[in-house]
Amino acid sequence: MIAEKSSKTIDVQINKDVLVVGAGKAGLTAAAQIAAQGYKAVVIGNKTACACGAGCSKEMQDAGLVEIQDGTSLVDIAGVAGDFRVTLGKGEETCEVTFGAVVVAPQYTGVPLNSAYGLALNDKVISQTQLEALLADDAGKEKLVNGSGSTVAFLSGFGQEGDPTATGRVLASALEIQKLENCRSYIYAGNVKVGAKGMERLFTQGRNEGVVCFKPKTMPTIEQDKENVKIVITDPVVRADVELEPDYVVVEEGVVVGPDNLGIAQTLGIDADVDGFLPSNNVHRFPVKSNREGIYVAQNDVDAANVALQVKALIGDGVRTLTEDIAVVDDTKCVICLTCYRCCPHGAIFWQDGAAVISPAACQGCGICASECPMDAIQLGEFTDADLKSGVKEAVASAADATPSIVAFCCKNSALEAGEAAAQFGHEMPAGFRMVKVPCAGKVDVDFIMNALVEGADGVMVAACHEGNCKAERGNIYAGWRVEEIRQRLENMGLNKDRVVFTTIASNMAREFACKVNEFAEKL
Amino acid sequence: MNSKTGKVMVIGGGIAGLTAAWELSRQNINVELVEKSCFLGGHSIGFTCKATDTCKQCGACSVEEMLANVVNEPLINVHLRTEVCGLEKKDGFSVSLAKSAVEEVAPQGVLKGFSHHNSPLYVVADGAADAPEGAVSIDTLGSEGAVDVDAVVVATGYTPFDPNLKGTYGYDKWDNVITGLDLENIIRENGSLVRPSDGEKPKRIAFIQCVGSRDERLGNLWCSEVCCPYAMRMAGVAKNADPEAEISMFYIDIQNSGKEFPVFYEKIKEEIRFVRTIPVDIYPLEGDSLELRHMAEDEGAPSSEQFDLVVLSVGIMPGMDTAKISEILNIPVNQDGFLDAVPGDSGVFVAGTAGGPGSIAATIAGAGNVALATMNYLGGSK
Ligand SMILES: Cc1cc2nc3c(=O)[nH]c(=O)nc-3n(C[C@H](O)[C@H](O)[C@H](O)COP(=O)(O)OP(=O)(O)OC[C@H]3O[C@@H](n4cnc5c(N)ncnc54)[C@H](O)[C@@H]3O)c2cc1C
Ligand code: SF4
Ligand code: SF4
Ligand code: SF4
Ligand code: SF4
Repeated sequence: MIAEKSSKTIDVQINKDVLVVGAGKAGLTAAAQIAAQGYKAVVIGNKTACACGAGCSKEMQDAGLVEIQDGTSLVDIAGVAGDFRVTLGKGEETCEVTFGAVVVAPQYTGVPLNSAYGLALNDKVISQTQLEALLADDAGKEKLVNGSGSTVAFLSGFGQEGDPTATGRVLASALEIQKLENCRSYIYAGNVKVGAKGMERLFTQGRNEGVVCFKPKTMPTIEQDKENVKIVITDPVVRADVELEPDYVVVEEGVVVGPDNLGIAQTLGIDADVDGFLPSNNVHRFPVKSNREGIYVAQNDVDAANVALQVKALIGDGVRTLTEDIAVVDDTKCVICLTCYRCCPHGAIFWQDGAAVISPAACQGCGICASECPMDAIQLGEFTDADLKSGVKEAVASAADATPSIVAFCCKNSALEAGEAAAQFGHEMPAGFRMVKVPCAGKVDVDFIMNALVEGADGVMVAACHEGNCKAERGNIYAGWRVEEIRQRLENMGLNKDRVVFTTIASNMAREFACKVNEFAEKL
Repeated sequence: MNSKTGKVMVIGGGIAGLTAAWELSRQNINVELVEKSCFLGGHSIGFTCKATDTCKQCGACSVEEMLANVVNEPLINVHLRTEVCGLEKKDGFSVSLAKSAVEEVAPQGVLKGFSHHNSPLYVVADGAADAPEGAVSIDTLGSEGAVDVDAVVVATGYTPFDPNLKGTYGYDKWDNVITGLDLENIIRENGSLVRPSDGEKPKRIAFIQCVGSRDERLGNLWCSEVCCPYAMRMAGVAKNADPEAEISMFYIDIQNSGKEFPVFYEKIKEEIRFVRTIPVDIYPLEGDSLELRHMAEDEGAPSSEQFDLVVLSVGIMPGMDTAKISEILNIPVNQDGFLDAVPGDSGVFVAGTAGGPGSIAATIAGAGNVALATMNYLGGSK
């Protein structure tokens, strides 16, 4: 194993203000929580209602701790955590302001999913929001009752899966309708989303108060003739079609990513998930971190509190201690090919005076850049190429008496943990198995693997995190490619390509890791 | 950073307590972490990874990471095998600690931690014959006496539903009827899925959802939120390991698993069969198989099917010490039997599943929220 070297640290002064992008409830709550920790929060975006209960009190605004810049938008961002230089725009004008941290509070919009049901909206086919507006006052309720009473059908969970918030709205409205004279609610649901506090009770209450809930397996058959709608389902128990011609049809609303959302993500250089929601779906970032240091995402009140915790841990008293040599570019070797800039998952690389520079305030030390740099211009302080090479040499030498000898490059976040656990729990492993610690599998380049073979290892394993679980987002993918490249090369040279394998493992899976290693040894 | 004085007691060392303790210590606050059992980590430290070709975001490995954070943090003082037996409100709180009862935490023999970050890794109770290297006698564990703190975070967690309360499923009688928790531990410990009776790989697997939850007869009027996600992820793991496996899931409604759920759900619907009915009972057949009887959803008539392994998706019930904790700390209990929220100015906070069902991810977020509220309380009370 390679000893960790002590690194050089410096203290830097950082900016203590925080920019909050998005003036909805989550954004304002985050601002209030950040201000409560003594930092100034500037909120930009289009303010929704301020009666949101976010708690950014008048005192906070008076004290200048929360500043709401209505109608201001994010234009551009440069710099790194502690020193983000943000270009803000209002109308034609722009200005540059410095912030220590940035919080994104994305605003989502609801759209009625009537077309999923083949329905056109009109006076009798309405969205959930429109129904809530009607239920809000007596005139609306009167309209719903329509003299002699109405039947109201809710369609939910066929246009999209839905969630407890949507189900809660449907149930609350359905219960309201049951209270109106001669009115009845029917719910057609896919899966009733009761997975949130109080929801099962609400659902039971609905049933007890006469709300009828059908759960057909597929979307009901729906015919619309202007304001007349017929809904048909097949009931499995009575084995007959059940038909309803409701007076009102209420269609569910889908949550969609606001038009600005992806633009903001792109400007900030943070990843979204497959549905376009921020941040990316990676457990190491839960609940509020993004792939960039100092940029956080808040969707609700709980997130807002977590953002304030992160901001406090980052900014503290305004002095941050940084490790200078996490990753350093040798400017005499760099040819500014920008490979490193493109592959850094954490937005830590810039260029200056004819060479790439890595910011210690943003770099996470994954080493992907070092492995990708065609000029070998980048070295990590704790994991220099020379260190790794001598580590491999030692590993092979110490396993020389055993057959097979295996060098496993193990990501410190996953495989190394699993391997150490396997050893401590006494799971059986081949005698010639040696682990070489790497900061991320993305640090393992073709040369290291070749080097291990040249040193005399019978087998080489590159062990990474599962896809989607890499702290550096794509380090495992780079490692997989490189192993594939080596296997090709071995094959072309007429050698056994199976001497080099790539595998993925989670940190908590000691036994599974031992099984994988034993299987590999067996094959060798 | 200025060194803020203040000391917080965190009761319960599951992911909720670990997260709260860690977040507080990151803000330079001293923490006394009290854990009743002999190991930190709670239920989820024994969970298995549910990745197939990709990570399925089950959160189990983040518990491992948080445990490593906590055991390496000098500001957190850990009391294993310790319970709170009294609390006196003075300037702050004076909390009395006592060793927890051996028969409750260590029935017999050798106990093993699930993570290599557990220290000690092995604990031996009285009369254990062959203790592994590094094992510690249970008599050496446990703290007693009073500790003064400024605030208290309660994170005593949940109790999984006792499957024996649903007697017709025969959990105590048939080897191959197991709970979701058993399944987590089996895969974690074996590295792959095997059935208990003979260690063979099961070919036909059934998951029964809502065991103990959403059950009016038991008076359990809540959804446990985690069992649909864990059962689907587990089904995915089983299918990935053996594409020939036939997996059925008996359910009422499928709940969401978090981010990217629609994509995950579409894919899993192609891999396993979803049957909207809750089975009635289970009987043993020749060769360790099981017969499961249910109402066929399409015909509305009784039907039965054969399985090699049946997994009961047990839900999240109030923690077993809820009454005791409620009394000592003066925390109200809600109608479902979980601890209720406490007013923020009392200096007592509730985190994690002690307050109601939630996933690891939700628990981590909630515990962060509690850590901030605790800090704000300390800041205000100083
Ligand atoms: C079968 C099953 C599978 C699951 N799978 C997943 C999954 O894949 N992903 C996911 O996100 N969630 C899953 N969950 C949910 C997950 O278990 C919880 O979210 C998580 O464990 C909650 O953590 P906690 O700290 O609140 O409680 P616990 O894990 O219950 O921890 C509580 C801790 O407090 C201690 N304690 C209790 N009483 C006292 C006392 N009086 N004094 C001191 N200490 C005390 C306990 O010993 C324990 O260590 C699953 C749940 C079940 C039942
Ligand atoms: S990859 Fe290497 S050569 Fe290219 S810009 Fe980065 S440091 Fe310079
Ligand atoms: S080591 Fe990783 S995080 Fe740091 S600059 Fe290189 S690629 Fe970016
Ligand atoms: S599936 Fe769970 S344990 Fe496995 S890597 Fe993903 S989050 Fe971690
Ligand atoms: S999560 Fe699924 S299995 Fe668990 S109680 Fe809710 S509906 Fe039932």
